[in-house]
Amino acid sequence: MSAVATQPETVRHEAVEPVATVEGFSLSLVRDGARTEVLHDVDLVIRPGEVLGLVGESGSGKSVLALSLLGLLPQASRPQSTGTVSVTGVDMVAADEATRRRVRRDALGAIFQDPMTSLNPTMRVGRQLREVTHDDDESVRLLETVGVRDATLRLRVYPHELSGGLRQRVMAAIAVAGRPRLVVADEPTTALDVTVQAQLLDLLRELRDDFGCSVLLITHDLAVADQIADRLAVMYRGELVEVGPAAQVVRAPQHDYTRSLLASRLSLGSPRDERFAAPGADAPAAVVVEGARREFGTRRRGQTVAAVDGVDLRIAAGEALAVVGESGSGKSTLLRMIAGLDRPTSGTVEVVGGGGAQMVFQDAGSSLTPWLTVGETLAERLRGRRLPRADVRARVEDALAVVGLGPEVARARPAQLSGGQRQRVALARATIVPPSVLLCDEPTSALDAALAKSVLALIRDLRARFGMTVVFVTHDLAVARLMGDRIAVMSAGRVVEVGPPDQVIDDPQHDYTRSLLAAVPELVGRTEGAA
Amino acid sequence: MSTTFVPRARLRPGTVSGLDIARPVNLALVGVLVLVTLVAALARVLAPYDPIQPVGPLNLPPFSPGHLLGTDSIGRDLLSRTLVGVQSSWFSALAVVAVGLVVGGTVGVVAGASGGRVDAVLMRVTDLFLALPGALVAIAIVAALGPGLTHTLVGVVIVWWPYYARILRGEVKALAARPHVEAARLVGTGRFRLLSRHLLPGVVPTAIVTASLDVGNVVLLLAGLSFLGLGQQAPAPELGADTSRALSQLLSQWWVPGIPGLAVLVLTLVANLGGDAIRNLVSGRR
Repeated sequence: MSAVATQPETVRHEAVEPVATVEGFSLSLVRDGARTEVLHDVDLVIRPGEVLGLVGESGSGKSVLALSLLGLLPQASRPQSTGTVSVTGVDMVAADEATRRRVRRDALGAIFQDPMTSLNPTMRVGRQLREVTHDDDESVRLLETVGVRDATLRLRVYPHELSGGLRQRVMAAIAVAGRPRLVVADEPTTALDVTVQAQLLDLLRELRDDFGCSVLLITHDLAVADQIADRLAVMYRGELVEVGPAAQVVRAPQHDYTRSLLASRLSLGSPRDERFAAPGADAPAAVVVEGARREFGTRRRGQTVAAVDGVDLRIAAGEALAVVGESGSGKSTLLRMIAGLDRPTSGTVEVVGGGGAQMVFQDAGSSLTPWLTVGETLAERLRGRRLPRADVRARVEDALAVVGLGPEVARARPAQLSGGQRQRVALARATIVPPSVLLCDEPTSALDAALAKSVLALIRDLRARFGMTVVFVTHDLAVARLMGDRIAVMSAGRVVEVGPPDQVIDDPQHDYTRSLLAAVPELVGRTEGAA
Repeated sequence: MSTTFVPRARLRPGTVSGLDIARPVNLALVGVLVLVTLVAALARVLAPYDPIQPVGPLNLPPFSPGHLLGTDSIGRDLLSRTLVGVQSSWFSALAVVAVGLVVGGTVGVVAGASGGRVDAVLMRVTDLFLALPGALVAIAIVAALGPGLTHTLVGVVIVWWPYYARILRGEVKALAARPHVEAARLVGTGRFRLLSRHLLPGVVPTAIVTASLDVGNVVLLLAGLSFLGLGQQAPAPELGADTSRALSQLLSQWWVPGIPGLAVLVLTLVANLGGDAIRNLVSGRR
């Protein structure tokens, strides 16, 4: 294709003509009634056949850049731009809709974070594939290429009948069906478990190798990008702060922001907190779980599934237990039973001693009542004590101070706070009257790396301050290692392995633990690919 | 590393979303709603004549001197009759909606928040009322109790509240599944407080929107019933009944039945547009 044959051959790259070029691109959008600049003077070249990792925290503008490349900027936000974003020589911001659609069809493929919302829920997979392949045999071939087994059968199912990983594979099949020059993958693995994430990343690289297309992999996780990217681009507040070969960016970052991004990443090698000593074997128990089983009815009558399938655990007072598992392993159900929000079908779950259990939820935003102010929410836990108003206020402000928030936050409503602030408020609610057991259900999985790290540090501080027992549920082994005196690995409703972090990570006993460990993305700094 | 900073803009509640013209238009429509309510409230003061006594020549056309909307077949001032008719229609409709909202809302919120057996019983009772053919029941009740405005209103309320029960129960159920309700339960919040502080405020916007869109329907239903002679009794002015009684004059003096009929049209239109405007304003804020 030689749509831009007249472009001067610059000395920057070899004579290879880039698939996409972003030049001096600035973009402003209208958000909440105010025009804000979301991209500032971005220069980026995507070469044929390369995997380019675009890394940045939420709100850094990386997804907007992807939408610009796809020519899908939301018109409702009234985009205004300077500079160019061209794909195969067509300006995807300035060109008319018909031209952009043609480029999307002929040269672009896209994979988004949530395949459930990007696939049409009312159409069978086969029909959605046929829209791009026009032929069922071709669809089957494609599905097999992206690693879907029993592809012929899968054509007949609806998206909701597939697992998250399979849905994302179907999206990938649709994305590469038209033999695109460039596949834009926006956080394609964020909603997936680590083992599935590893498979999907492999798949993206294979697609590059088999189809020769370029891949723009957008992610907030440096290590994920580093797994397969030839080059990395780091984005911060709408600007590209660093672009370079993956190995160079990871090993010798030039920009402060890249360095802080690398520093905030938790890995299996991060230093652990030395404050806590594992309690001795004779320590009194705080939580005792014996033969706990929780069944849920399925849609078919009389049939049940055991979310938790016979779990025995004894958590000592003052101990921190990290429960690790993938989605559907039963870890959240176990936590809810300890909290008393759910009851075991058989067996017992007991919180020993007074003080009770308090819980911090995964999505702090929805765990706070939206129309109550933070102060009102926190004061609810003090209601039983009939304190005078001034005392309540003082205790609320103290609790906020403990989690690193100022007294003015008491007057704010949850919608006015950032994700990190909300999670701090949730922690303040749990600890305003210190509980004997603090339950955490993936409290940091929705937060950016730096924020997550500070919230994890806060939870450890609270534990040290109040001497609470902590049960911390997570899908991330690195987080579990940091937070737990012991790690319990759950799979299919059972605890398959329990032990101190070093033992579980250095010498895993169970196959499942091993596969979980193997799938954890670690920064390696690969050298540039064969391109 | 303390992250205590809250941007000022975020602390300001109710920031305007979008800078388009939708908002001023909606506000204007709500203004019209308020204006109609004011006119209805002050009808007796605004009316130039006694609406019941003959005060002028018969069948004067609109824009006659002294009688802006003309007179009817026995010489009563049409403007005065329409104004007082609007008053009774408008406040009757508001009353029906308000009572329906309180009764239906209570049933729905209690059912949705309790769940289980309480929910099942309350909702089956609601279903029973929903199964009754609306206007017919109202007619039957008026027939049994005897004609009169109060009886009509009772009849209409009986068939009206189940809709609110249904809608609000669904809202409460959806809210009750949110983690914030579980979090509140975990904190030890009592049942009543859970309902009043963590659930009820969440359904208020829906309740307001549903109710405001409904006022127009009730205005129409009441006018229809009184058209059939089941509302306000003569000689008191009533829009539906006045239209009905003067129907024979439609071809000779169109304004006598036409003006009260047009008043019903305008009231319904204002109620529906105003309801839409309220919905847009409320949903924009969420």
